[in-house]
Amino acid sequence: MNDRRSRRDALAPVGFLLLVLIPLILMPLAAVFVFAFRGGAAEFFEALKAREALFAMRFSLLIAFATAAVNAVLGTYAAYVLSKYRFTGERALGIVVNLPVAIPTVVVGTSLLLLWGPIGLLGKALEPLGFRPMFTPLGVLLAHLFVTFPYMLGAVKPVLDELETTYEEAAYTIGASRLQTFRHVLLPALKGGIFSGALLTFAHSLGEFGATVMVSGNLRLRTQTAPLYIFAQFEAGNIAQANAVAAVLAALSFGIFFVLLRYSGRREGER
Amino acid sequence: MAYLRKRALVPLALALASFGWAAWPWFPFSRASAPPRTIVFYGFSILGEVFNEAIFPTFEALWREKSGEEVEVLGSFASSGTITNQVILGVPADLVLVSLELDALRLSEAGVVAAGSWRALPHRGVVNRTPFVILVRPGNPKRIGGFEDLARSGVGVVHPDPLTSGGANWAIVAEYGAGLREYPDRPDAGFMMLRGVWKNVIAQAASARAARTQFENGFGDALVTYEQEALWDRARGKLEADVVYPRRTVLSEHTLAVVDRNVEPAERPIVEAFARFLWSDEAQRLFVRYGFRSVVDEWNAANTAFGRVDDPFTIEDLGGWERAKREIVDGIWKARVLRELK
Repeated sequence: MNDRRSRRDALAPVGFLLLVLIPLILMPLAAVFVFAFRGGAAEFFEALKAREALFAMRFSLLIAFATAAVNAVLGTYAAYVLSKYRFTGERALGIVVNLPVAIPTVVVGTSLLLLWGPIGLLGKALEPLGFRPMFTPLGVLLAHLFVTFPYMLGAVKPVLDELETTYEEAAYTIGASRLQTFRHVLLPALKGGIFSGALLTFAHSLGEFGATVMVSGNLRLRTQTAPLYIFAQFEAGNIAQANAVAAVLAALSFGIFFVLLRYSGRREGER
Repeated sequence: MAYLRKRALVPLALALASFGWAAWPWFPFSRASAPPRTIVFYGFSILGEVFNEAIFPTFEALWREKSGEEVEVLGSFASSGTITNQVILGVPADLVLVSLELDALRLSEAGVVAAGSWRALPHRGVVNRTPFVILVRPGNPKRIGGFEDLARSGVGVVHPDPLTSGGANWAIVAEYGAGLREYPDRPDAGFMMLRGVWKNVIAQAASARAARTQFENGFGDALVTYEQEALWDRARGKLEADVVYPRRTVLSEHTLAVVDRNVEPAERPIVEAFARFLWSDEAQRLFVRYGFRSVVDEWNAANTAFGRVDDPFTIEDLGGWERAKREIVDGIWKARVLRELK
């Protein structure tokens, strides 16, 4: 059953697709690297060694690790509940957990400010207690958890949905506890899903801009993430500085994407 | 299974290594010394270079010399309206330098700055100044000599957005005041000037800095902006435009406020020392070097790039910012000019 056309027929459409993709995707990406190295490798590394640039990259990485770790647990739990239990309001809850995909990230930032900020609904009450999450690393983390929440779910829930409940039931009948069942039955099956979900979450957190710019306060050496650093340097006209960090972020994303492709590709091949 | 583990080893090692690198400065054993005291400073868009490159390091060195104590001044720079909103919403700023007193008034209305406290600072809180000028394409092909020429048909004007940009508010006052002072016997001269210029506005950016980037990217024939922007670029050989000095224009004055809500009693002395430092000879000379005009006139001779304005005026000449905002920006620009151009 092979309805693929022959190689010769493919020439024109593939050529046309490439013609579209080159200016649309490939050339802009290449421009980042061309500009980053235009002043030579020495200037590139000099730009990266700036204290603010190093801090921004470290801070972004730490936030991405934290986001991936928290959402790996929360997202897997959400996927488990939504996949294994039948209850009223199940559909509504399913929509709620996927909502962050549909909401503009700037709106996420605004709504977090209006909740946790000093004039916000909860923030007003918490302010006298000295709890001010906005404009701190915690605020950035909250924004990233919100924005990336659905990625974990999307990676884990389909695996859980496909998984036969009989294995789980068998484990219970031989007297395994919930924890043991999770550890020995569910976790091995979910490992791939959790891994790719966490990687996706990590990658999105690393590049998050819209919500972060609202809640971080953009303070260099304190709450400035790598994308905010790039934007600030670019706005100030320091294109070399902006591009050096942009090139690193782009290379990191390529790396993550590569691992993701390789991993999921192998997994499917093993089946 | 074993194969799978082996395959996961490389990503795992990479993840661990990058985590270790990222978290390195925060590990207890790698901390060089106790973190220094910090002052957090928020400023409007064009202040970035002079503060990051000159003012902060100079103050840090002076303080170390004087007290033997390490201090670090951290800055964040965006449009005046944006930083004002950020401070009201709770960013941990100790000091804020806004483009116009109006934003300081908003801060005091929100209760984060004691009412009128900046007026007790030297020069009523004004740290430095700069006149509003017009940038045109090299060689001035459209022969623009003043604000009245921006009203000619066929001239495209790039203007920052008065909603967020302090510079845009200054620009409106400059245009209005120039018209009014040119024809003092015609009460509608200011309105006519504003209407003429704004009919030609083709792009509005959030901040003066962003408007300059738009102009640099090829939009429009003219940009209304701070003289400092142009001089600083020219000093670095980056200016690809000519500067036109209108015969009559406003001298913008930039106001410093101490954010009383955020300054802990223990930090007050150092915050106030930094505030006072901004009016010291040393800091004022640095401002002049970066293209700002000092509040002390004698320092201004040091920068020969400063252009001549025949008839400069200040916001005081128009009755202060509260009145100018009410009557000119809201009363004339927003209520009449924008409505007519719709």
